[in-house]
Amino acid sequence: MSLNAETAAETAGLRRSIDLSRPIFGLLALALCVLVILPIFWLAVYSLQNDAGEWTFENFVILATDPTILRAFGLALLMALGVGILATAIAAPMAWLAARTDLPCRSGVRILVTASFVTPPFLGAIAWEILAAPNSGIINGIYRWLFGLEADAYFVNIYSFPGLIFAIACYTFPYVFTLVANALERVPSDLEDASAILGASQLTTLRKIVLPMVMPAMLAGSLIAVLQALTMFGTPAILALPAGFHVITTKIWSLFQFPPQPGLAAAAALPLLLITVILLRGQKWFLGRKGYTVIGGKSGSARITNLGVWKWPAFAFVAFILSLAVVFPYAALLKAAVTTNIGEPLSFASLTWQNFNFVFFEFDATRLAIWNTLVLGISTACIVTILVVVISYLVVRKSFPGSSILGFLATAPVAIPGIVLGVGLFLSYANPVLMLYGTLWILLIAFITIEMPAGYQQISSSLSGMHPEVEEASRILGASRLTTLRRITAPLLKTSVIAAWCFVFIGTIRELSATILLTIANTKLVSVIIYDLNESGNLGAIAVLGLTLLVVSFAVVIIAHRVPLIARG
Amino acid sequence: MAFLELANLTKRYGAAVVVNGVNLAIDQGKLVCLLGPSGCGKTTTLRLIAGFAVPDGGEIRVGSRVISKAGAAKPPERRNMSMIFQSYALWPHMTVFENVAYGLRLRRLAEADITKQVGAILDVTKLGALAQRYPGELSGGQQQRVSLARALVVKPQILLLDEPLSNLDANLREEIRFEIRSLHDQYRYTTVYVTHDQTEAMTTADVIVVMNQGAIDQIGSPEDIYKRPLSEFVARFIGGTNIFRGANAGNDHVSADGVVLQCGSGEFGPSGETAVSIRHHDVKLSETQPDFTSNVASAMVERQIYLGSHRDYLVRLQTGATVRVVSDVAVDIPAGRQVWLYFPPEHCRALAR
Ligand SMILES: Nc1ncnc2c1ncn2[C@@H]1O[C@H](COP(=O)(O)OP(=O)(O)O)[C@@H](O)[C@H]1O
Ligand SMILES: [Mg+2]
Repeated sequence: MSLNAETAAETAGLRRSIDLSRPIFGLLALALCVLVILPIFWLAVYSLQNDAGEWTFENFVILATDPTILRAFGLALLMALGVGILATAIAAPMAWLAARTDLPCRSGVRILVTASFVTPPFLGAIAWEILAAPNSGIINGIYRWLFGLEADAYFVNIYSFPGLIFAIACYTFPYVFTLVANALERVPSDLEDASAILGASQLTTLRKIVLPMVMPAMLAGSLIAVLQALTMFGTPAILALPAGFHVITTKIWSLFQFPPQPGLAAAAALPLLLITVILLRGQKWFLGRKGYTVIGGKSGSARITNLGVWKWPAFAFVAFILSLAVVFPYAALLKAAVTTNIGEPLSFASLTWQNFNFVFFEFDATRLAIWNTLVLGISTACIVTILVVVISYLVVRKSFPGSSILGFLATAPVAIPGIVLGVGLFLSYANPVLMLYGTLWILLIAFITIEMPAGYQQISSSLSGMHPEVEEASRILGASRLTTLRRITAPLLKTSVIAAWCFVFIGTIRELSATILLTIANTKLVSVIIYDLNESGNLGAIAVLGLTLLVVSFAVVIIAHRVPLIARG
Repeated sequence: MAFLELANLTKRYGAAVVVNGVNLAIDQGKLVCLLGPSGCGKTTTLRLIAGFAVPDGGEIRVGSRVISKAGAAKPPERRNMSMIFQSYALWPHMTVFENVAYGLRLRRLAEADITKQVGAILDVTKLGALAQRYPGELSGGQQQRVSLARALVVKPQILLLDEPLSNLDANLREEIRFEIRSLHDQYRYTTVYVTHDQTEAMTTADVIVVMNQGAIDQIGSPEDIYKRPLSEFVARFIGGTNIFRGANAGNDHVSADGVVLQCGSGEFGPSGETAVSIRHHDVKLSETQPDFTSNVASAMVERQIYLGSHRDYLVRLQTGATVRVVSDVAVDIPAGRQVWLYFPPEHCRALAR
């Protein structure tokens, strides 16, 4: 594939090349600017204006003095830090156990970690409501039943600051796990042999050699967990609001409730954007430090440590964590889906299809939401995939000097938290000139922006792994550009294009942070309906919808993973 | 009339002139090597011939038809050429058979003919047993053979090779090198072969084209290039040599580094400056003063290395300049000893550039 069109020149057979990549570059750059820069621009403008449209620093003065906002910021930072520490504390040992020891069922561990990864955090939070709400929670019910306690006694309360940290950590630890496990697999065994031969015990080697080598990956993973927690809307909205406190994302959202204060919301969103950018820089710095890359050529694969008597205690630890993150919540959702009263013990008589019936046939709002979600998920996935393929091509093949700017614009949205983008898009498109608010279009724009970076990374890395000579070999043997595109480039990119499509789709159907500010009754999505139903306490319907979301996500993940087998990659 | 002609061919990337006014005429059926150090523009020249790059000046003609000129080029797929890439560029999603059959399929041959021709070329390249493998399942040498088979099976008018051996290890390199030459002897395709390795060029080429900084320095047979270099660059690049730079002393003599050298061949610099080249193994080393008036210098042995078939000396002249000498094993002079060097005039070549 190349974007040079050719026309016949005066000499027969010779073609003068007309460069089509320039107009395409222009169009793409414009589109990306609209997607990325426009919302940030309006965010800045609104933050500097009062309701009358006059230029002022009023919003920032309020931001710096209003105790409720400051408290929300403080709590959010504390919460994020707590999540970072907890996630790292559980994920790092688990990663080592899964990657470098003879722990039983290691592949099972990885599957469950993936499951936790795929679970939308707000769904996990709702599952934990079912499990650990002070009154109705299953765990507290069992606790009261075991000890014969009063109805208001409880063992755990998920509606609390520690509860919030716990519920977020359950679904962010996979970031740390994945990075650390990958890093551990890359520590070559001869580095450890070198340490052992110098007389270090296994434990010393672990502490002095292995740990420092995976430290950057671990810190990078922790930062991602912190970032995820800081910018998350769903879980705090579900758990912190009933507990009576705000974090910054829920606070920004509340500024859009009546009476709306968009200027203040914009001002509050900017520091969040700034913190995100700083955290991402930090993460890049940790991962990019040259001193930690393994020096030297081929070396043996990772060494497996024999756990000996610690085998089963270690397994119990891992099983316990994964039960908390995946097994219990899923069980709770399943139970909620097939019963009407969450508190009562499960029995054959109490089984019912009523929730399914309600969600899929009776309740119009859910049917509309499922339809909207599918439409948006599929169209976002298709549009993003096409966009990132073209952008990656222009950037990776260096079609012309400025093309790398497109890569920068395509990755920039990683640094924009969903809620910040939501505010920015609301401000950009809720005015009479461009009245997209209240339509699916504004959601489409939001999702394209949010999902573009992940798609771009996927495609551009696989395209840079593909040597241009592979295409040229086809040309010189007599294939035109189009034939080459069809017979060589497309089949070689197929695997990663499908994977990118799948990940964008999954990311879209679980998005809540930006969506919550951009939907109205007609444009509800499954994630928003789940949130709404939670407010009205309909756990059975939530469970059905949530499980549907999970089943679809897992199906797509499995397709994405199976593709290489089908496509022979 | 030459079959493939490059006339004043020029290519710029930004401000850098990567190919600078190259003139080259290649006769049909000849194997020509573009030889030069890395970055001198060999690949770019090859890509211009293939049509992947459009020249900024000059022309490329095949059989006196223009196929490339400034700003315009016939697309690669219509040139009836084949190219072997440095990276092999095999298609990982196709088997060896499918890779090789690709060009024939594009030419819409009947499936039976394709099977027959692919089978034949796979046998010639010793790949018959591997036809159903994927490139990922082959060794480096086998991959390079597939790449050769794929290029040859379409019977190209012109075959282009870009450093085809650079990714192979030493003994495979030699094997494939001979294979390429014998395939050329068999099929006689007009071939342009790019390499930075002089041994590779000497052993495969009919004609060697030495390139330096985007321009052609010298064109000639391997023997021409080695025995009769025209520039200091060529003398140094091909085979290694000692260079003395000095002033013309008249009568075929050059005085340099305190030595007066009579030169048996070559051209003297017009401005009075001339470089003299003498190969390492042409310098004679002795402990007694030779009986000649010129071409003699006294020196001291700096180090001596025994290499089984010969000895490698580094000796220092009185002026401080060093000379490398390769001598017979019998000539065994330890380091630190005073010696005499004799530079036979018939091996001293004057270089104007
Ligand atoms: N597409 C390109 N854009 C800019 N510079 C290039 C490009 N291709 C080659 N060059 C430059 O042209 C010079 C010659 O390159 P090349 O022809 O690949 O040399 P060789 O094959 O002899 O090693 C190098 O300095 C290289 O950096
Ligand atoms: Mg090259």
